[in-house]
Amino acid sequence: MTIAMGNTVTLEQAKLLVEYIESDQQDKADELLAEIQNPINSELFAEIGKLTRQLHDSLMNFQLDSRLSDLASADIPDAKERLNYVIERTEEAANKTMDAVEAIFPAVDDIQAQLQLVEPNWQKLMRNDIDLSGFKGLCQHIDKLLKMTDKETNNIHTLMTDVLMAQDFQDLTGQVIRKVIDLVREVEESLISMLTAFGITESMLSNRSDDDGNGEMKKSRPKVGKNLVEGPIINVEERDDVVVDQDDVDDLLSSLGF
Amino acid sequence: MKVLVVDDFSTMRRIVKNLLRDLGFTNISEADDGSTALPMLQGGDFDFVVTDWNMPGMQGIDLLKAIRADESLAHLPVLLITAEAKKEQIVMAAQAGVNGYIVKPFTAATLKTKLDKIFARLG
Repeated sequence: MTIAMGNTVTLEQAKLLVEYIESDQQDKADELLAEIQNPINSELFAEIGKLTRQLHDSLMNFQLDSRLSDLASADIPDAKERLNYVIERTEEAANKTMDAVEAIFPAVDDIQAQLQLVEPNWQKLMRNDIDLSGFKGLCQHIDKLLKMTDKETNNIHTLMTDVLMAQDFQDLTGQVIRKVIDLVREVEESLISMLTAFGITESMLSNRSDDDGNGEMKKSRPKVGKNLVEGPIINVEERDDVVVDQDDVDDLLSSLGF
Repeated sequence: MKVLVVDDFSTMRRIVKNLLRDLGFTNISEADDGSTALPMLQGGDFDFVVTDWNMPGMQGIDLLKAIRADESLAHLPVLLITAEAKKEQIVMAAQAGVNGYIVKPFTAATLKTKLDKIFARLG
C-alpha cells in the first residue's frame, strides 16, 4: 500500500529515508531526499558525476603515459637524426657513383680515340692496300691500343665495382626509414588516443578535414598539397591537378601555344 | 656558350653538368639558389640558364621573373628542371616566360630534345 505525499513521495521512500537516518547513513539519506525532490536532476547529477570521474581518469592516464613525453623528447629528435643520415648516405652514394662515372668517361674516350687512330691503316690492311710505313704505324697504334685497353678495362672494372658498392645505401637507408615510419605510426596512434580521451572521435576529425569548403566531400589531403611548391608528387594517380610525365608537360605547354 | 646551372642539391648540379658536357657545353658555372645566381648573371656574360624551382632563398620561378624584368638579362633562355609538377605551376612558368620545362625525374634524351628545341627557336 502506498500513500502519496505531494505527487512523488511513496511510503517506501519515506520508510527508507527514516531507516537511512536511523542507521546514520546521512549520504544516502541526502541522495534519496534529492531524488524525491527532483528525480530528473539527480539523474543528471549522477551522469555529470560519472563523466567527471571518466575525465579525471583519462587525464590521470594521460599524465601517466610517459611514452608521449618520450616520443617528444627522445624519439622525434632521434628520427630527425635518422632522416639526416638518409640524406647524407644518399648524397654520398650519388657522389661516389658520379666520381666513378666521371672517371670512366675519359677512359672510354681514350680507348675510342686510339681506335680511331688504328682505323684508317687497318682498313688499308684489310683491302691489301698498305705500304711498309703504314704497316709500321698500324703496328705501333695497335700496340698502344692493346696496352691501353688492358689498363683501362682493368681501371673501368674497379670503377664499376665502386658503382656497385655505392648502392649499399639502399639497404641501410631502407632500414632507417622503416624505423621512422614505425615512429610516425606510433605518434599517430598516441595523438588519436589523446583526442579520444578528450572525447573527439575519429569520425569528427575526418568530417572536419573532408569538408573542402564547397560542401563537397573529398578524401582528406595533407596541407602540403595546398602550398604552391610541393616537391615530387608521390600520389600522381589520386591527383587531377598534376602532370603525370614529360609528355603531359609538353602537351600542356603546347595547348598554351608554346 | 656559357651556362649557369642553379640547383640547391650539389648532386643534381653535377648530373646536369655532366649531361650538358656530353652535349658539348663545356663552360658551365654553378649556383645554389636564385639569390646567388642573379648577381652572377648580372656580372658575367652567360648565354643560358638551367634552374630548379624549389630552392631555399630565391626560388627558380622568382629567378626567372627577375631575369625577365632585368633589361640586360631579359633575352636569356631559361630552362626549368624541377620536380614541381602541378599544372598551375607549369602555366605560371609559361606566363613568366620560361623557354623549356623539364619535370624530374628526367632523361638525357629529354634534356637534349629540349635544348635543341630552345636553340632552334632562338635561331
